[in-house]
Amino acid sequence: MKTTCEADVRILPGGAVIVLSGEIDGHAADTLTEGYERAVASGDPATVVLDFAAVRYINSTGIALIVSVLARARAQGRSVVASGLSDHYREIFDITRLSDFIELFPSLDGAVSRLTEAAG
Amino acid sequence: MTSMTSPSFRQLASFTVRSEPGNERLALAQVAEAVAGEGLSPKRLERLKTAVAEAAMNAIEHGNRNQPEVPVDVEVTAADGDIVVTITDQGGAPEGAGPGAEPDLAAKLAGEQAPRGWGLFLIRHMVDAMDVTTEGTRHTVRLVMRATGNAAERGPDCGASAEAGEGGPREDHV
Repeated sequence: MKTTCEADVRILPGGAVIVLSGEIDGHAADTLTEGYERAVASGDPATVVLDFAAVRYINSTGIALIVSVLARARAQGRSVVASGLSDHYREIFDITRLSDFIELFPSLDGAVSRLTEAAG
Repeated sequence: MTSMTSPSFRQLASFTVRSEPGNERLALAQVAEAVAGEGLSPKRLERLKTAVAEAAMNAIEHGNRNQPEVPVDVEVTAADGDIVVTITDQGGAPEGAGPGAEPDLAAKLAGEQAPRGWGLFLIRHMVDAMDVTTEGTRHTVRLVMRATGNAAERGPDCGASAEAGEGGPREDHV
């Protein structure tokens, strides 16, 4: 059963946004890696936003991919925030403690406001 | 503990999926359809779906080693207020069975643990009980979700091998 994940990257003042859609599972590895690299390629964003509003499914392999992105960002001195998680996946971020390291925003607008305030 | 002799026992579904990557989502969709109307809240249904998907993924990848022709058997039953999902692969007892290291996000971020290894951890936190048994080549994970009550707000009340027979939980690497 083929799954799909897409990543749309937007560069904003103060940070970069990776808008994810589809399924975050083992097939998403290249998409997530390339999305992150595009996000940090132009400028030196202090914060990377992962937007999950259009993500339908995240499995344990997807969690591992998010952990890898977070580890890479932290090693480069960047923070990661997330937006648009459903209640269920917010709970999974809490259980795995991802929410201890990734600030969660209900919506992308809220996350972007934080970026622009920080850049302002 | 439910049993086949319970007067309220009902089989809600019995099916197989081919052992191909991604087919865990077929399993979760069919289980979700089978338990519709059984009284699970939306929140607990999402939890059960995640647990089923993770158990099915382990069965496909680590039990049946992605051999499409080797089936993963799924049965859904209801009895005495419990919804029970059993997921069986043909991989026998996992090598090196036993409790693995609990995933620790700080250790993973520090490079002291691999990023993966969340599958069993998620299952344990999603359902009210789970156990694992092995009979010959048949390795079965049994997930229990109470259809009523407020267990959704508390943590798991059992370990992966709490009622395990020979062998233990498959040490997933997902």
